[in-house]
Amino acid sequence: MKTERELLIVDDNPADVGLAREALTRCAYSGQIRSVGDGVEAMAFLEHRGKYTNAARPDLVILDLNLPKKDGLAVLAAMRAGPDLRRIPVVIFSTSQLSRDIVRSYELGANCYVSKPGNLKDYFSAIKSIEEFWFGFASLPQRGV
Amino acid sequence: MSSAGTQLGKQDSAKPEPKLRALLVEDNALDAALVVRALCKDGFDVTADVVQDEAAFTRALRAHPPEVVLADYNLPNWKGMETLDVLRREGLDIPMILVSGALGDVTAVECIKRGATDYVLKDGLARLPESIRRALQEKLQRQLRHQVEEDLAQKVDELARSNADLEQFAYIASHDLQEPLRMVAAYTQLLAERYTGKLDEHADKFLGYASEGAVRMQVLIQDLLAFSRVGRNGAARGNVDCNAVTEEGLQSLASAIQESGAVVTHGKLPVVWADRTQMAQVFQNLIGNAIKFRGKEPPAVSVQAEKVDQHWQFSVSDNGIGIAPEFAESIFVVFQRLHARTEYPGNGIGLAICKKIIERNGGKIWVESQAGSGSSFKFTIPLHGPDEKKEEERT
Repeated sequence: MKTERELLIVDDNPADVGLAREALTRCAYSGQIRSVGDGVEAMAFLEHRGKYTNAARPDLVILDLNLPKKDGLAVLAAMRAGPDLRRIPVVIFSTSQLSRDIVRSYELGANCYVSKPGNLKDYFSAIKSIEEFWFGFASLPQRGV
Repeated sequence: MSSAGTQLGKQDSAKPEPKLRALLVEDNALDAALVVRALCKDGFDVTADVVQDEAAFTRALRAHPPEVVLADYNLPNWKGMETLDVLRREGLDIPMILVSGALGDVTAVECIKRGATDYVLKDGLARLPESIRRALQEKLQRQLRHQVEEDLAQKVDELARSNADLEQFAYIASHDLQEPLRMVAAYTQLLAERYTGKLDEHADKFLGYASEGAVRMQVLIQDLLAFSRVGRNGAARGNVDCNAVTEEGLQSLASAIQESGAVVTHGKLPVVWADRTQMAQVFQNLIGNAIKFRGKEPPAVSVQAEKVDQHWQFSVSDNGIGIAPEFAESIFVVFQRLHARTEYPGNGIGLAICKKIIERNGGKIWVESQAGSGSSFKFTIPLHGPDEKKEEERT
């Protein structure tokens, strides 16, 4: 039985989340799209705390780096330290093109680093590629094992 | 012997100027009086302390710092030359003139070498006022020069700091502007994509202008970032083979070369001491420009280098549209363009970046051109290290 895909977008800019949703709609992504606006919320969501007690475990996290309260690298580090959360693939999706950020992300166990393109067409095709690869080609770990 | 010293002076001088406080190191009261008289006769309004040993000299220096020290060479309990050690120890820049009986030429020269400002014989005291005037004048000039040097150093320091601030500002501004601008660009494009043809023709035009403007501003900010990055990242200098970086530049320009039918040639280029990435950018920008600003003929571009004095001088010459001499300098300024965007694309950042890079690597860049008859961009990179310079001497 195939369960519905769960995607978590962690980004403090609603306009960015909006673009990602638009892009995903265009590429016929049929799963759920959840979004949270800062690093603390992201951890609460992932650890089913507070209002996220019933939140679904995401199959993929798209994570911005520059986040309020707890930045993306800290979220990534916390995820990689958790026995279950460490299995969830994380795509870093950030404006930063600094090699420091890229290297640090991979060091902390990011599965992929994608710079947010400035141009709409490229932005859409970046999201499309992420969707196609992670939800199309890649085999993901089963949930709740 | 009184170690407090005595004070001599003349209060009733007809000419009150110029005032002078002198410290005499003299054991002979008559000689001291003669010195003071010689000065008064010349119009000095002189106040003089007279001391004859180190302790009294030091006390007098601290109590009333004099403008000049007049010291006898031989004293019963001290040596006149040792006043210099005390002055140095007290951190005072006060001229010391030896006023002495017979002093051989050799000794006199030795004293001046050791720091005495001048020496005057006791039987030639008429020369003393002039000697003092000159000593004071020299001291004043010394102080002025010192002041000027200090001011200059401070200005240089301030300038360096404000330059660094400006770099930082440009970087942060352009970096932080990118994020909101990306949203403006993306959503105007989204609007255009979704609603073009569904509103009216005005709306279509407005959407087009808005998204074009946003995209152009994105490019400008990218350029500004690239420009400010040249200054931010310290130049990582090493040996750069200019043949290799030129070839790399040609590869990056492959499609432009193919489209235009350009023929780019280069002579044997040297290895220079510079930042490799930056040098590659210079060659690519200059060759790229040579192709972009072409005339009716397919571009013919030549890259050459020769040693001129202590520099390698490079030239990138083309058969393109050329540049009128009055624009020869302004083309190196950020965002300066001579042509409409529709004629020749670009933002006017390439040459500004070249200039910044070349200057950071210790060279100069300029253009030799006439409108309509091709351009030759020239730049220099200093020879580096003893080997290169030695080779220069041999050739």
